[in-house]
Amino acid sequence: MIAQEQKPIEEILGYLEGKNNIVIVGCGGCATFYHTGDKKAVDGMADKLEKEGKKVTKIYMPFSMQVCETEKSGVFLNKKRKALEDCDAVLVMSCGDGVQVATEYIEEGMGLMKGVYPANNAIGLVGGGPTKFKETCLSCGMCELGKTAGICPLTSCGKGLMNGPCGGVRVDNKCEIDPEKDCAWVKIYERMEKLGELDKFLEMRAPHEWSKCKRPRLFEIEEPVNMMSAMIGAMPGFLTYTFSAKPKLGEKE
Amino acid sequence: MPGEVYSQLMKELVEGKYVFTGELEPEKAGDVKEPIEAARELVGLVTACNVTDNPQSFAYVNSLAAAYKIEKETGMECVYQLRCADRNRMALLSDVLGAGVLGIKNILALAGDHVSLGDTPDAKPVFDLDSTTLIYMIRKMVDEGKDLAGNDIHNPPKLHVGGAAAPGAAHLKAEVAKVKRKIKVGVEYLQTQVVYYPEILDKFFKELGKVDVPILVGIFPAKSFGAADFFDKYVAGVDVPPDYLKSLEATKEIKDKEKKKQEIDRINVEYFTSFLEYLKGTPAAGCHMMAVGYPRIIAPLKKVME
Repeated sequence: MIAQEQKPIEEILGYLEGKNNIVIVGCGGCATFYHTGDKKAVDGMADKLEKEGKKVTKIYMPFSMQVCETEKSGVFLNKKRKALEDCDAVLVMSCGDGVQVATEYIEEGMGLMKGVYPANNAIGLVGGGPTKFKETCLSCGMCELGKTAGICPLTSCGKGLMNGPCGGVRVDNKCEIDPEKDCAWVKIYERMEKLGELDKFLEMRAPHEWSKCKRPRLFEIEEPVNMMSAMIGAMPGFLTYTFSAKPKLGEKE
Repeated sequence: MPGEVYSQLMKELVEGKYVFTGELEPEKAGDVKEPIEAARELVGLVTACNVTDNPQSFAYVNSLAAAYKIEKETGMECVYQLRCADRNRMALLSDVLGAGVLGIKNILALAGDHVSLGDTPDAKPVFDLDSTTLIYMIRKMVDEGKDLAGNDIHNPPKLHVGGAAAPGAAHLKAEVAKVKRKIKVGVEYLQTQVVYYPEILDKFFKELGKVDVPILVGIFPAKSFGAADFFDKYVAGVDVPPDYLKSLEATKEIKDKEKKKQEIDRINVEYFTSFLEYLKGTPAAGCHMMAVGYPRIIAPLKKVME
């Protein structure tokens, strides 16, 4: 998921200065998990803007309806076409991906030229939950996990070293730039030790191939996913999740 | 235009003299003999020479080390090219301070080609700063004695910072706006990417309007068909005229090395004479002759302007 947090309201108001009629677009994807684009967040933002004397139209995106998928967000944007036509600016409460997808769709898909502004800062591709998350993957295009006992040093090591640990490890195996964070390379060492693969640790890993990450990366899939069958297919899993006893937070087997 | 003048290049530009600059390219080698030899040939013919920094993202001798050596051994004033592709703002700042220590007086601040285009494509592209922010940083260092974070610099460097412009850019309006932004943050002179067609330069000057920063227009007399062909194929924003390319290509048939050289020189002098004549009538403050590895062509071309 893409973790995110709301920008300071002063920054948002700065973007909207002189713009009185605002459309707020929420997001039913990752932004819902981080309370930065769900219904409550959209309502909260609307209150703040209305207090500043602005007229607000809200576009809620229900759970699992992400702004970053045009097929989904297009439906909700088109429903409020009139409001979008009349507005002075659009504020999107998603990650930067959603903001840009909305920008492109409103201009090219709907033929409307509007300023589209971000309400959030995306802060990483994270895993974990439900309350604690950790950035784990850079989406670098050349996964190194096979060489590093399943821990990505490009993301988890502050320096992104391919051959650590560096000389800055603290006495408690924490990182030199943040005593809250574990040293990724000590973790890698410990995992390799337990896996009986310390010989791999001794091998020099080649510098990362950054050529695999020429931005912006574009790609195409041959067959688009069928939303309806995907949702029906997801039902058994969803029911299992709903009616099963879930482990408590922090509980170990 | 700067208050204080530190280099010969800036002195001549401020005085309104028509200025010529050349270009030297350090290579992937443990020495800089070749650019030093080329610089020797150019002493007295050009005011200063650019020393390229990993051109087209081919990793070569560090341009600061090369510029220092060239200045020391030949007396040729250098324009130290510095690109953002390989260094973060700390390394850039260190290098600029280092340039000051070594007596370098001109820097050309560039973003640089993407590393994936060169001979080390797996390298991590840095681009922590861009050409505009690098120019801004250097001016802040020189004028205010501060770094980007606002820390004091004791005994700040005294040097000038130039920037690049691309008259042949696909989107001229965006390019010109970018150039104006560089002027706004304090660029002291501009050197353009190679131009072959007067119409392109006319459009550029018209779009830019009157500016208070001297502009040196880039030309590229090619020492061989291969060099011109490479430029045509791989350098963005530059179209080499087909006729000129064709005449150069024909020289591949000439077996006698000396005759081949003479013919290549003749083609270049013929082609660039009319361009240089035209240049006299433009707002250009001079000409940047990117004749890398081809210093012998500078003298006959300069004659045209006399």
